[in-house]
Amino acid sequence: MSLTEAQMVFASVHENALNDILTAFFTDRPRYLVYGSPSFVPTTTVAETTMPAIAFPGIPGGIQWRVRLSIPRVDLFKQSAPLPPQLTLAPGEFSASLAVELCLECRQIKIDPKPPRGTEGGDKGDGGGTDGRKDDRHPQSELTCCKLAVFAVGHIEHVLAANGEDAVALAVDAVEIVDIAPDALESLIECLLFMILQAVLADVRLPLRALRAGAFQLVPVVGPLIEDDQIKMRGNV
Amino acid sequence: MPEITAAIDETGANKLLDTAIAQIGTQTKSGTGNLGPFVASYTVQGTLTNGSVDLIPPGTIRIVDLRLDWHIDLNFGIDLSAILPDFCLPQVCIDIPCVGTVCTPKICIDWPTITVPVSFGDFVKTTADFGLLISLSGGKWKVQAVIQGVPNLQFGASSAALLAAIGLAVTPLLLAIPFIGPFLAIAVDTILAAIAVAGVTGFLGPIITPFVSGIMIPIYEQPQLFRVLPAAGPVDPEVDITIDTIAADVAHNGNEDELVLTADISP
Repeated sequence: MSLTEAQMVFASVHENALNDILTAFFTDRPRYLVYGSPSFVPTTTVAETTMPAIAFPGIPGGIQWRVRLSIPRVDLFKQSAPLPPQLTLAPGEFSASLAVELCLECRQIKIDPKPPRGTEGGDKGDGGGTDGRKDDRHPQSELTCCKLAVFAVGHIEHVLAANGEDAVALAVDAVEIVDIAPDALESLIECLLFMILQAVLADVRLPLRALRAGAFQLVPVVGPLIEDDQIKMRGNV
Repeated sequence: MPEITAAIDETGANKLLDTAIAQIGTQTKSGTGNLGPFVASYTVQGTLTNGSVDLIPPGTIRIVDLRLDWHIDLNFGIDLSAILPDFCLPQVCIDIPCVGTVCTPKICIDWPTITVPVSFGDFVKTTADFGLLISLSGGKWKVQAVIQGVPNLQFGASSAALLAAIGLAVTPLLLAIPFIGPFLAIAVDTILAAIAVAGVTGFLGPIITPFVSGIMIPIYEQPQLFRVLPAAGPVDPEVDITIDTIAADVAHNGNEDELVLTADISP
């Protein structure tokens, strides 16, 4: 079978090159891997993206949070990278593995700043209230993080880049995190990361021109599709 | 396995080369050459048109009926005294009574040197084989089709036609010379015989062949630092990759001959 088959032009990019291009993208634009509320990321820069805090009544300034992703490592069908048993890589799909760090600024909130009248020293009056005892369980503010190994499978979409040229984007179909208990919590966080990864990777639009290193003109007729560890496309001049 | 592969079949290669050759445009060259016994200065223009592409593994692109349309403006000088016999007006003598015989003075014609401008155009077709030349220069990767060997362009018909054009250009110049009448045909025949078709062919060949033998058809040209995405604001800088290697070949895949480019990249 010829490379071009019924079309005039063929182009393919191997998963190694796709990972090189993704590395270049996230290295040149690292803000697509780091998102945080103002106490973590005061303003959007090349390195990080600022997001609103999670508003909640009684928490001044909202819940401060940060998400940091590592550069995804993509494997195109046929499978050559390990996946947890809950995920399978079907023909035409890709898998991705990455590390995710979730952080919260865990703060102690002063519920009643003024002690009631009549309570001094060690007396504990009927009015209850604070007795001046220090609570050592939580400091005033503490960074609490967890790191997760995340796996995903998905398909590619033919999209338009910001400058209007033909491009591909990675569309996530499922996410799996290994070893979180109970299962309901795992599902909750998987859902959270599923939405985050969909959004992050949808913003990574790789021009078809770049996937063929600028060789020839190609007006797509077939593809782009995933096959033999490559993204392939065929078309006309 | 190469990281990036791009291939084009013969139909696509025809379209690619149509565009690439058209982009070469009209080329101009000036100089001097031997036109028979005469030295002619010339300006010649050449424009190439793609023919029919045949991809031949392992690395040849054959273009059948590659056409070169050429046009030449040339000038050459002819010293007529070198080709025409000396000519003196006959003396007339009369007898004058009581004076004697009186004759008119002897007047001889000094033939001038004339400059002959000739303008002529024609085309030539040839079949040429091209190989693939890959280079990295000035931070740019290039793949070009370069001709293999020097083509043997056939100028027979063009030479005869140009010789006739020279004859047509010379005639009115000669007619302007006093007393040329009896010698006109001799002058034109002598000039054309001195040049001859062989002389024209010997003149045209070296100055027109380089238009074909010297062509380098661009197949691929990209900077080594390849731009994936342009900058999209102050917080979204340009995204680049490095094209580390480029290879090009003509391969037989399945039932088709294809021009295949491959590349390896790094972030």
